[in-house]
Amino acid sequence: MDYSLSEEQLMLQKTARDFLEQECTEAFLRDMEEDDAGFSPDLWGKLANLGWLGLPFPEEYGGSGGSVMDLAVLYEEMGRAMLPSPHLSTVVLAGLTILAAGSEAQKKDLLPKLVNGDLVLALALTEPEALWNGNGWEPSGVTVKATADGDSYVIEGSKLLVHDAHIADQLLLVARTGDGATPEDGITLFLLDAAAKGVTCTPQATTAGDKPSEVVFSRVRVPASSIVGEPGGGWAPLAASLRVGAVMVCAEMVGSGQRALEIAVDYAKTRVQFEQPIGINQYVQEHCVHCLTNVEASRWITYKAAWKLSDGLPSEMEAAAAKAWTSDAHEKALWFAHQVLAGAGYGQDDGVLPLLSRRGLAQKLYLGDADHHLRTVAEYVKRWEAPPAPRGARSGLWDAPEEQQVPAWAPWRERFERIQKRKEERRQRRSAA
Amino acid sequence: MEFGFTSRQEALRKEIEDYYLEQLPEDYTADKSSTTEEQHAFWRALQKRAGEKRYLTPGWPEEYGGMGLDTIEQGIVHDVEGEMGIHWPAGAGLRLAGPATILFGTDEQKARVIPPIARGESVWFQAFTEPEAGSDEANVQLRAIEDGDDFILNGQKTFISGIHKPDYLYTLTRTADVAPKHRGISLFLIPADTPGISYHPQPSMGGSPQNNIFFDDVRVSKGALLGELNKGFYHAMATFEFERSGTNYLGSNRRALLDFVLFCKEETKNGKPLIDDPAVSRDLAQMAVDLQVQELVTWHTIWWFTQRERLGPKPYDLSAFFLKQFNTSHNKIMMRILGAYGQLQRSSRWAKMSGLIESQWQRMRTWHAGGTVEIYKVIVAARGLGLPRAARPTSKTQ
Repeated sequence: MDYSLSEEQLMLQKTARDFLEQECTEAFLRDMEEDDAGFSPDLWGKLANLGWLGLPFPEEYGGSGGSVMDLAVLYEEMGRAMLPSPHLSTVVLAGLTILAAGSEAQKKDLLPKLVNGDLVLALALTEPEALWNGNGWEPSGVTVKATADGDSYVIEGSKLLVHDAHIADQLLLVARTGDGATPEDGITLFLLDAAAKGVTCTPQATTAGDKPSEVVFSRVRVPASSIVGEPGGGWAPLAASLRVGAVMVCAEMVGSGQRALEIAVDYAKTRVQFEQPIGINQYVQEHCVHCLTNVEASRWITYKAAWKLSDGLPSEMEAAAAKAWTSDAHEKALWFAHQVLAGAGYGQDDGVLPLLSRRGLAQKLYLGDADHHLRTVAEYVKRWEAPPAPRGARSGLWDAPEEQQVPAWAPWRERFERIQKRKEERRQRRSAA
Repeated sequence: MEFGFTSRQEALRKEIEDYYLEQLPEDYTADKSSTTEEQHAFWRALQKRAGEKRYLTPGWPEEYGGMGLDTIEQGIVHDVEGEMGIHWPAGAGLRLAGPATILFGTDEQKARVIPPIARGESVWFQAFTEPEAGSDEANVQLRAIEDGDDFILNGQKTFISGIHKPDYLYTLTRTADVAPKHRGISLFLIPADTPGISYHPQPSMGGSPQNNIFFDDVRVSKGALLGELNKGFYHAMATFEFERSGTNYLGSNRRALLDFVLFCKEETKNGKPLIDDPAVSRDLAQMAVDLQVQELVTWHTIWWFTQRERLGPKPYDLSAFFLKQFNTSHNKIMMRILGAYGQLQRSSRWAKMSGLIESQWQRMRTWHAGGTVEIYKVIVAARGLGLPRAARPTSKTQ
């Protein structure tokens, strides 16, 4: 048991904090909000130079072989700074899937480019109907069809809320090439040009301003060589990346919640009304404490999942628990911060709380909300079994109903006897009458 | 970061689990209360056997009869006790009076008090709360006045937990009228049968046995004073730090949730297992997630204690906050699932889970030991977040 970060992780945390405070300022964030793409290639290049794009990849592909825990430390800082970047899409969701399922040739071709900042990827998984029906992040929600036609496949269908599709060079498309015994069977991953003929990408207006797109595939022809992994066996490697991704979104929420907490506590200490700081009022204190408890619990449940993933331990339940808890806890933490700042917390041109809050909604929903992940946890809970029973000889000590057990200790025995006596007297009076 | 246990720690858990699985009779379950002569005799005997193996005092130094384990290992032992539904009659002696005596007691007190606690031979009550000293613990009024070689005590304690005849009272008293009030408080180790002490049952909702204790001209020798005169408040606080664990609640909550899940697997509603109702399985999953949070936050505090030389004292502890929050919210969920059956008590043949959830519903209203959740929040706000404290009157006690 060790709740502290390693020396190297503390260093990464500090480097990231310093860099992002310098580069990802409030002015930059507002600039990106107004920008059509919401993406700075210049900053993306700097992330590559810092080694952040290669963090989880082996050295042979230009990476530094970092663990999921290292990645979580970085994501906490990126969440704190609200860094607008396609890091999650490119490095985690698409990148780790390619690392896990891609052919050696694909990995040698794609990963070094990705690590150098020359390749932005987006994961096209969720579909309009499935997002509405509640199975957007489940294999049963994948209906976009890829039909084999000679040496190529023809893709037809729509994806919705595809993050970073509008700035991606290539899309990692999750499509159905067949049906099988389970919804996982027949899911195939394709890597295709985002600008391929027949692909239409339309960014949508959302709370967070993060421009997730509708992507329509209209008779898009791709070669069979664009398949990543086994045809029909794409779900398993993708699910592993989705799990890491969900924990990374949790880490972002931890960083973001921590920043909101600091803003709220600072305001409670410095804002004076009725001649005293508002933080002296217990209602305000309670909001601050509830903000803290939600952030702190999120931190440990997130890092526990990251630890399990790092050590290659079974982690499906822990990752789901982390996303289920943190999705709700982060929204609550931000809500309490808003309550403390009140009028000082909602000006769009003034302060970062509105930005934290709006991005929080996207983070809560992305890669599955609490309901989605609780369904996963529920599957594990259903498997819980009865614990071993005591093996000592039967005592018979608890056979008598509790209300008839005579207490041993005098004050309680006397009380018991008094009550019994009154009951008896009542009974006698009734029978006499 | 890593959140697992070492193989040594896992082996300790297994050893303690196996021991109590052997020792507890097959007809014992955690929801049973023990009041009769025979039940008391059983617990005293088990307490004595466990004491011989030093299992009662895992965190005490070996020279005092403990196992000399660190706080994590101690937490594991307490976790198992909670899971098995073990409530030692020695309770307050093991958790509070014993550690306080080790830290602040004289050689004579250590020789007299410590071995019987460690061996599981004595029953202790923690006599702190008073009618006018609840959240404001420093306002204790039970007065101890020096009289030659003795002290004479007068006053009242209330909400003192216990149903086994006590041997000793670990007692907070007023020994000086000063400001601030907590500088005039002293700790005493008082033989429970000292003339002038009287006990009055104060049964609570859900059946927890508590007592009013009256002190009328109770004369105790100066040897009953623990630590320095007027330093009792500080001694008591230091002991809370020393013995803080809370893992017994992890064990008991884990078992309680498991029992409820098993109930939902077996019980049917409209011809289907309860657990197949999506609303029910979602509730169960949420409670399982909450339990993980409670475990992580509780072990964080315990882990911190093993690192205190490096990290200093922990500015705040959220384990009790989450414990109180989850216990109440979980009972609410379970009661909702039981519907109208939730109100049926153990003796009704229609009661579900032997009326356990009903008695817990009542107990949730008595769930204020160690301070209400509101008090915790105020403490965390001041110590953890550095928010300003509202001015409090610091006048002398009357």
